[in-house]
Amino acid sequence: MKNNPPTGICEEITFSTFFKSHAKSLRNYLYYKFGNEEQAQDVAQEAFIKLWENCASVPPEKAKSFLYTVANNTTLNQIAHQKVVLEYNRKSPGNNTDSQSPEFLMEEEQFKTKLQKAIDKLTEAQRTAFLLHRIDGKKYHEIAEILGISVKAVEKRLHGALLELRKEIDNLR
Amino acid sequence: MKDETLLAKWLNNELEGAELEAFMASPDYATYNKIKEYSAQLTVPEADMDALYKRINTNKNKPKVRKLNPWLPRIAAMLVMALGATYFFYTNNTTTQLAVAGERTSFLLPDNSEVTLNAASEADYKTWNWKNNRKLQLDGEAYFKVAKGQTFDVVTAMGKVTVVGTQFNVKARGSRFDVTCFEGKVRVTSNNTTTLLTPGKSIAFEDGKLIMMPTEENNKPGWLTYEVKFHAEKFANIISELERQYNVDIQLNTQQPDKAFTGAIPMNNINDALEIIKTTYQLKSQKTGNKIILSVE
Repeated sequence: MKNNPPTGICEEITFSTFFKSHAKSLRNYLYYKFGNEEQAQDVAQEAFIKLWENCASVPPEKAKSFLYTVANNTTLNQIAHQKVVLEYNRKSPGNNTDSQSPEFLMEEEQFKTKLQKAIDKLTEAQRTAFLLHRIDGKKYHEIAEILGISVKAVEKRLHGALLELRKEIDNLR
Repeated sequence: MKDETLLAKWLNNELEGAELEAFMASPDYATYNKIKEYSAQLTVPEADMDALYKRINTNKNKPKVRKLNPWLPRIAAMLVMALGATYFFYTNNTTTQLAVAGERTSFLLPDNSEVTLNAASEADYKTWNWKNNRKLQLDGEAYFKVAKGQTFDVVTAMGKVTVVGTQFNVKARGSRFDVTCFEGKVRVTSNNTTTLLTPGKSIAFEDGKLIMMPTEENNKPGWLTYEVKFHAEKFANIISELERQYNVDIQLNTQQPDKAFTGAIPMNNINDALEIIKTTYQLKSQKTGNKIILSVE
């Protein structure tokens, strides 16, 4: 055994810091992709273990892209895509619900339900890009990195996603 | 402005000026705006990230279960097949020694046992594992000087000769089967009977019928010194032997004599040999090239 002190990702502290800053995004991304919490956890776990196993050959600046590449390449015995269960933040800032009329509140609830249904009908590509932006607040270039596509392609997907959502909501009217 | 990214630009607050105004004036703007507003309130079910980290930590320090390179099993399979084929080929590889008519061949077996093949004879054996499987297939006549070791089998169409270390002669020609022991002990199995030969003893079968043979006085078969002794041998067998030894074609223009032949015939002088036959059976001969015609005097 070599006794060289571990460097980069192999260092426990670096790995743990890296995990804290990226694990949640990865897991969320996988959840949007699979619509299954368990699978999202499993694949995220697998990706981090692969990263650890290859820590000596993956420089820290490449670790994120390595992580997502592994996650994207992990094809599970795909259980059919399940519904992505999303909830609305109960205490939305700036929305003082108390001051709204009951009609408005009802309309608002209806719209929220329609939006959830519409999101579920998006393609996997559109849904992951859209939710990464709306829920995780990812910048377009970050989404591009995660999905391994260009920023332009991200913009096209989001454009398409919005278009589909609007049509679907109009149809549900 | 590219239409196919417009909504994305707007979602990212990149749209401004006239484009933004135009978009805000569109009938669908209200819905888009609501999508933007409400989707910002969406949350994802929380996951226990600490638990995930713990699981990763316990798993990452486990010894790795190495995945095989996908080529490895294929390469291994090919190697196994190649080895199998080689093994099959090697273990089944038969060596053939041949002596054509008019010639003799001497060769050594892997254990240095000596074999001398008489004219028009063939011996087949496998060199693989020879030490433990000394077995030789013989068609014709051969003289053996077998090195000491495991039992040594000479298999012929008419019977099997088994020895340990000895010198003996085996003749398996047509329906005639002769075995003579010169040294050691020889076990002959033919027609379900087993006979043990001691030095000087011979055994012979013609069409499966036992023929009593005189004691051999020489310590080598006659044919090795080109002086072949026959004992109660059918006329046809004598002719066949002459054909083999001198590589000639002998034609008999008369009825086959019934009388069996006993005596010696030289195998290095065709005229002397023919003279003996002619005298014994009262025949005359006419030789043209490789062809000899025998007819009544």
